[in-house]
Amino acid sequence: MTYRRCNECSSSNLYEGICKLNVLMVFDQVQAGMGGKENPNLPLGGKKGPIGSVTMLEPYLAELDENVIACFYCGDGYFKNHQDEVTNKMIGMIKKFNPDVVICGPAYNYKGYAYMCAIVADAVQTQTDIPAIAAMSAENEETISAYKEKICIVKMPKKGGTGLSNALRNICLFAKKMANHEDLSEIKKIYCF
Amino acid sequence: MFKALEKLLMPLADKLGKNKLLIAIRDGFLISTPLIIVGSIFILIANFPIPGWSEFWAKIFGEGWESYLSTVSRATFDIVSLLTVVGVGFAYAREIGADRIQGAVVALVSFVIIMPTSIPYVGEDGPSTLSGISFDFVGTKGIFLAMFIGILSVKIFHMVYKRGWTIKLPKGVPPAVFDSFAALIPSAIVMFFFFLIGIIFKLTPFESAHNFIYTVLQAPLMGVGNSLGAQIIYTFLNSLFWFFGINGPAVTNSVFSPIFRTLSIENLAAFEAGKTLPHIYTGQFVDFFQTFGGGGSTLSLVILMITICKSQRIKQLGKLSIVPGIFGINEPIIFGLPIVLNPVLIIPFVLVPIMNTILAGIAFETGLFPYTNGVNLPWSTPPIFSGYLVTGSFVAAIFQVVLIILGCLVYYPFIKILDKQYLKDESSQITEDELEDISFDDLSSL
Repeated sequence: MTYRRCNECSSSNLYEGICKLNVLMVFDQVQAGMGGKENPNLPLGGKKGPIGSVTMLEPYLAELDENVIACFYCGDGYFKNHQDEVTNKMIGMIKKFNPDVVICGPAYNYKGYAYMCAIVADAVQTQTDIPAIAAMSAENEETISAYKEKICIVKMPKKGGTGLSNALRNICLFAKKMANHEDLSEIKKIYCF
Repeated sequence: MFKALEKLLMPLADKLGKNKLLIAIRDGFLISTPLIIVGSIFILIANFPIPGWSEFWAKIFGEGWESYLSTVSRATFDIVSLLTVVGVGFAYAREIGADRIQGAVVALVSFVIIMPTSIPYVGEDGPSTLSGISFDFVGTKGIFLAMFIGILSVKIFHMVYKRGWTIKLPKGVPPAVFDSFAALIPSAIVMFFFFLIGIIFKLTPFESAHNFIYTVLQAPLMGVGNSLGAQIIYTFLNSLFWFFGINGPAVTNSVFSPIFRTLSIENLAAFEAGKTLPHIYTGQFVDFFQTFGGGGSTLSLVILMITICKSQRIKQLGKLSIVPGIFGINEPIIFGLPIVLNPVLIIPFVLVPIMNTILAGIAFETGLFPYTNGVNLPWSTPPIFSGYLVTGSFVAAIFQVVLIILGCLVYYPFIKILDKQYLKDESSQITEDELEDISFDDLSSL
């Protein structure tokens, strides 16, 4: 894919005549397509382009003119043991990629992953000018109550629960509004914790 | 089309998944599952499908060594209705916020109150009766009644409790004492209710609630469940729900699992007694002949991912998923490949389990290998082992392999489409900037 500079918004996201939003995703090993619960020690890594569960989001990304430029991944166990190092490296690399928005999720009810999403989204918000959101299910009570005031946590069902495709659409929609710096106070009440 | 389908399925899944009665029944069964597994392993040891097994051990332990093992199976699946009534009572009490242990025991007591406890026999002095609990009423034949009573007794108990018809003790009384007095009047009302119900049933031609529920409900429902048609509907719905990210079996099992479970236990009872096995479409049929490697029979898919796919992503995920896949776990590919909301893979994901169901159904119907013996192996038992252990026939083990290979053939064209698509993504990125991986080492100075 070749991108050109968009004259209207001066970002370099113009693709086939449409100005697309650049999205960067943060995944755990499961969502990245790199194993299951038995592989929690997957070290931090990344791919330029869509991987793993991006496919689930694709219809909504396309509908909202969003484009995944990179996916970072890290096993939830590895993150837990190297929290500061991984967060710092992610922030450094996010600054380098300079996406329009960072999506940390979808984390379902994976507790370790949900925690990672909250930490990373919070760090992106505080240490860069790039907006970030997290997405997880209500089962992650501790993480939600600790971070819901600091970051936007989009609601989604637990693994195997109902309403997944609606939630994925909400994540993409919310990311877009956030990237465009729209007023979020109304939709935050509906979509977020 | 997918949107319309989702609109149809979502409310159904929501209703079934949030229905407190169905949750209580499903979870109530889960409480007894580990016990049943252990019990059936004892039966398996007593009846291991190897010629000369029994004679070999008889030389060491003496004739009739199997009867020692049957004490464990008797204490588990011969009293499965008692386990069910306690489990369902407990789970339903939890769902509606009633006292759990009181709920469980009041359900158990209610179940025994309406059970006939005089057993007729013919002794030396002619026909007589003796007092006791008959395995006939607490075994598989009572499962459906146990579910009813587990729910109904706790419902009444909680209703009375909520109305405040309780004995209230002054403050400062220890909580355990307080709770047990609070349960007194509600328990009394539940017990009196079932006392009356028991008498009413005694006056009917059915003679007992057990007989009534078994004849009008359990036997007909099991007849419906024990059919190829029901199995096809079941497996179709399972796959379809998964495609939308909804845990299919969690929804469908709330309806189907009591039936499959009862059919299995009846086969197990016949197996232990050395009688002809009555049913084909048991829980073991579902666990070990319908899908391999998890929902959608994805073991076939994982094999293809490793062997014929060229995309590095797919190959790598395949390698990571093969071991969990052998044990029936496919979470890494459900979300990682992904299968959820992936329109390419839904077709084989639905078709393969249906194909397996039909072919296995035919194999059992035509007597290619014996019916399943009802031994409740953990669902994670790998194929080949599972096929052999639940039928005692190597043919069944080979048949499982054949089904896995056929599954590969069905998945082949679809994973190829995905492989090409991913390969294109991967190669286009390489031409753009040589490297697809992001190296975080550049940032080591941070």
